[in-house]
Amino acid sequence: MSLDTPAVTPTPLNTDPPLNADPLLDSLTALFRRVLELPEVPGDGNFFLLGGDSLVATRVLSAVARTHGVELTFEEFLADPTPAGLAARVGSATAVPATR
Amino acid sequence: MSAAALPAGSPSPAGAPRSVVVVGAGLAGLTAAVELAERGVRVTVLEARERVGGRARGVEVAPGRWIDAGAAYLGDRHTALHALLATCDLKTAPTEMAGASRFALGADGAPEATVEGRFPPLNAVALGDLFERLEELAAAVRPDAPWLTPDAERLDALTAADWAERELSHPDARLFFPLFLGEMMAADPAKVSVLHMAFYLRSGGGLRYLNAFAGGAQQDRVAGGAHRLCERLARRLLAADGVLRTAEPVLSVEESGGAVTVRTPDGSYRAEAAVVAVPPLLADAIGYRPELPARRAGARTGRGCAVKVSLVFPEPVWRAYGLSGWSVNAAGPLLSTVDDTPPEGSPGVLTGFVTGAEAHRYAALPAAEQREAAFAQARRLFPMLPEPVGFHLTDWVNEPWSRGCYAALFGPGDWSALGPALTAPHGRVRFAGTETSTEFFGLLEGAVRSGHRAAAELLNS
Repeated sequence: MSLDTPAVTPTPLNTDPPLNADPLLDSLTALFRRVLELPEVPGDGNFFLLGGDSLVATRVLSAVARTHGVELTFEEFLADPTPAGLAARVGSATAVPATR
Repeated sequence: MSAAALPAGSPSPAGAPRSVVVVGAGLAGLTAAVELAERGVRVTVLEARERVGGRARGVEVAPGRWIDAGAAYLGDRHTALHALLATCDLKTAPTEMAGASRFALGADGAPEATVEGRFPPLNAVALGDLFERLEELAAAVRPDAPWLTPDAERLDALTAADWAERELSHPDARLFFPLFLGEMMAADPAKVSVLHMAFYLRSGGGLRYLNAFAGGAQQDRVAGGAHRLCERLARRLLAADGVLRTAEPVLSVEESGGAVTVRTPDGSYRAEAAVVAVPPLLADAIGYRPELPARRAGARTGRGCAVKVSLVFPEPVWRAYGLSGWSVNAAGPLLSTVDDTPPEGSPGVLTGFVTGAEAHRYAALPAAEQREAAFAQARRLFPMLPEPVGFHLTDWVNEPWSRGCYAALFGPGDWSALGPALTAPHGRVRFAGTETSTEFFGLLEGAVRSGHRAAAELLNS
């Protein structure tokens, strides 16, 4: 064992959400995990490189419509098929318009 | 030492039957027959047709170039089939799917659409809703014993058409559902139970896997045709001193005095055990003595509704136009088409699937009308097509020795009535066939697994 290996110390229990908590991103990441049947999906994980195809993509769009009330087209999903990209699109679609 | 570890050709284990009659020289029957024969069992295979292969049938579209007129595709999860292909020195070839798709999903006469990839120009949220519901049904099924699924009684009483009527509200979902079911399982939604639909989707690996080409169940084809596997197995059977008798349909299977007698119009064959490896409707038409405690098929068990049509051209000309040959169409006869050009690259073959209720209607047309309707539709979808140089049609619905393809369709009540006895031995009689495999039911892989199971049951008895 090398000397510079840090001793394992138990991480203090922290029940506070992380500072960059993003419920929308979390929800879309969880959705990707469910339909792709993967234990982990990074926020910038490309849906198609993670094993998704157009059939599974429609399940994402259907779940987004159910959960977030936003109906996206297949082409809109293709533009940035990551949880973060989808979050940005859903976020802008659900943002309260400034005028009107 | 486990039986599986014994090298091929070793004597059969004590207790195993010394002689076996196998009914049906399709993939399931031949798999079982070869396994038994190579372990020293005296095997006689009785086949109703003049050829082996059952629902795997090859057509030579040019000298040495073959296509599949029946079962064709396989994927990486089809491990038993891959292993069997390897022991038969056969290779696979990837299915060619590059290019854009054509869709004719509007009202009759509406223009066809060209779309990159395979996704139909329909409301994606509505289709996603359909697939979410189907996936949910599939996930809830007990794949090893569908009749024990929670809520099985209700799901087995309902047809897939009833289900769609109640659950699908969007017109695009209602339009696409029967096309999808036709493509996945050659079923008319009015003729299968919801339990069977859910089971079939689950058994095949889920919607995505069953539907996909690359990374799914249609990733590869057997180089030279799937029928070659059956031909190689038949050769192995003969090399292991087995007997293959074609054009001998089996009439009855009778057990008495510790032996089984299998009767055909030409004679009778005695053995210590039998394997019946034909589809459920045919297995049910055989006479058994003593009688079976449960039927092999019921009054509502349907025939897989598939007519496979192949148009042959000198070259796959659609490729030069950036098209994959894939199309999906709301109106028949060809509800979908696929590039079926042999791996060598020519001749160009466009294969159309006529499935579900449309298969019955199309199958009843005179041959000239069938050809004309198929070509006219192919030409609307792919206007660059020249005159075809060949036309091949296989009407699996009315094939007397298959009674349907891809597989039997379990109608309402079937899983509850037939399921528990699906793989149960009947005295010295065992059952095989893709419909007896709860894994990859209806596929080549299911047939191979069922053959292995039946052989293992006999070798370990």
